Amino acid sequence: MIRVETLSKQYKGVDVLNRINWRVEDGAFVIVTGRSGGGKTTLLSIVGGLTRPGEGKVFIDDADIWQLPEPELATLRNRKLGFVFQFPSLIPTLHVLDNVLLPIAFSGRNPNVEDREFAGSLLEMVGVTGKDDYSPSQLSGGQQRRVAIARAMINRPSIMLADEPTGDLDEKTEEEIMRLFQRINGQGTTVIMVTHALGYVKSGLAYTLKNSRLMPYEESEVASGSCAGEGEL
Amino acid sequence: MRQIFYLVRQNLKRKPFRTWLMIGGIFLACATLFTAAILSKGIQYTLQTAGERLGADIVAVPADAREEALSALISGSPSTFYMPLSLEEKVRKTRGVQQTCAQVYLRSLDAACCVVQVALVGFDPERDFTINPWVLQKTAEPLQNNQLIVGAKVISAVVGTPAKAIGQRLMFMGKPFTVATILEPTGLGTDYTVFLTMDMAYRMTEESPLYPVPVKRDQISTILVKVDAGTDPALVAQSIEQNIPELKAVTANQLTRSFSRQLQNLVDALFVAGGIFSLLALILAGNLFALSVRQRMRELGLFRAMGAGRSLVFKLIVLEAVCIAGIGGFFGILAGFAAVYFGKDIITDMIGNLYMWPDTGYFLQTALTGMAASLLAGILGGLYPACRISGCEPYEAIRRGE
Ligand SMILES: Nc1ncnc2c1ncn2[C@@H]1O[C@H](COP(=O)(O)OP(=O)(O)OP(=O)(O)O)[C@@H](O)[C@H]1O
Ligand SMILES: [Mg+2]
Repeated sequence: MIRVETLSKQYKGVDVLNRINWRVEDGAFVIVTGRSGGGKTTLLSIVGGLTRPGEGKVFIDDADIWQLPEPELATLRNRKLGFVFQFPSLIPTLHVLDNVLLPIAFSGRNPNVEDREFAGSLLEMVGVTGKDDYSPSQLSGGQQRRVAIARAMINRPSIMLADEPTGDLDEKTEEEIMRLFQRINGQGTTVIMVTHALGYVKSGLAYTLKNSRLMPYEESEVASGSCAGEGEL
Repeated sequence: MRQIFYLVRQNLKRKPFRTWLMIGGIFLACATLFTAAILSKGIQYTLQTAGERLGADIVAVPADAREEALSALISGSPSTFYMPLSLEEKVRKTRGVQQTCAQVYLRSLDAACCVVQVALVGFDPERDFTINPWVLQKTAEPLQNNQLIVGAKVISAVVGTPAKAIGQRLMFMGKPFTVATILEPTGLGTDYTVFLTMDMAYRMTEESPLYPVPVKRDQISTILVKVDAGTDPALVAQSIEQNIPELKAVTANQLTRSFSRQLQNLVDALFVAGGIFSLLALILAGNLFALSVRQRMRELGLFRAMGAGRSLVFKLIVLEAVCIAGIGGFFGILAGFAAVYFGKDIITDMIGNLYMWPDTGYFLQTALTGMAASLLAGILGGLYPACRISGCEPYEAIRRGE
């Protein structure tokens, strides 16, 4: 379970996140939308242990992650979390299979045969087969994104954080990737996804980040409908 | 750990030119510094040995022929200068003088045997203390009239190793001689000198057409002096010159200094070059490395997002720097080692007076020191970028790297 308590983050004196309280149950499929620059990536990276919050706490399975010593936080990122970035994130010097196996190397052991087999099955699942020894630059953008998803799953994380995983992809690929995450979620993994693909909003619990606050999607639509303008009381 | 090495290797292969540039800089610096260190030690040994092998603490020569005499002593250029034998007695009576012996120089000759012009010098085998200690093969018997002792460079170039020269027959001024033994190199004039008995030297001038007026038996060219133990040769030399105005007294130090200056200049130049190279290498490699880390901020941030701990990223960068410095240092030292080791003879030929080399132990010691220094430089060079990057929050690093 993920619990966020009165989480705030400012950049240069400007609120990006303001006193956010949030709960994500195990096995949930959560979608976060919001305007560009609204702070979605910031929220995700604070939850994922990549950006220190200004104030507030993040609990993952009852561990206050920003109170953990750095090595333990690193272990948590490595074992429990899978992060898929908004931008291409494969390591250019490593070929596809090594990219997928990289988190295993960071867990302090050398990948064994089983790891390789698992990596192979993940690549099959994401639909990039027969390209194990390609370098990332030899893949298309969508393929790179899918390899990054496979990599995020190699340590069997209980939580997947996906930041606009379908960002600049065509509709058909977008659909495939969405289905992929639904499948991942079906296996019991909690998925938190930032997306603008509103067509999928219905497929999970949806939230909107607006004015530095996180609110349920429907509600925010109503709110923006009733209160004209940005004025606050 | 194997994975870390793999990552380091992959990364070094990414920009091979840059990697080689960094390695090359360190290579050059290490090679020159290593060579300079070895040469400088060799020179130090050479000077020390030259002083010892000269045998005498002071050499007294006729004051009116001092330039000529000094050049004969230092470079073995054949020359003739004489003074009365009686001066030796006066020198021996000077305070602080323990022992003396005289030598007589004969006119230059182009001997068919030899590569270079040689000086013929007569000495007294019974009283000598300057030549006998440094012969290659010592014999109990004093030198006979028909025997020679030759300097290290007189014929060794012709016969190969110096030892092969022993037993060779040589003709000088129409008289046959056999080479009794060879002198160890000194770096001074004796390397180009042929020694024979004093008696024979006088006899040759009496019988040779080269000498219309033979050198008289009461004429000598140099007086070699050994001072009492614990006495400063410079002071003794001073009092010799004061007491006997006809003499110019030169200490062994002054003689070796003449060529030590030339050698020292060479070593200084090498050290300066090594220093400049090192500085440039450090600046070049340090900057390139810092740049390569900066360009990889995003990637290193991603590593951490995937669960690489701060210390792992730190190790990764330091290890990379150490690899570069280590490879550069290793091959630089290897090159310096090879250059000095296999180039010894060439260097000796080029700088005639350098003939003593440090032993293998010193080579190894210098190599290890150099290796340690370059690894240390690697660690230091890696430390700063490593600190900077591992101090960043992962997402911050990723963002900044974009
Ligand atoms: N490290 C930073 N320093 C300064 N400002 C930052 C930093 N990171 C984010 N911001 C600012 O915080 C705001 C939120 O950024 P964030 O990346 O979270 O937005 P987003 O909702 O993910 O936008 P997008 O949909 O375009 O990805 C932006 O205005 C951005 O400029
Ligand atoms: Mg974003």
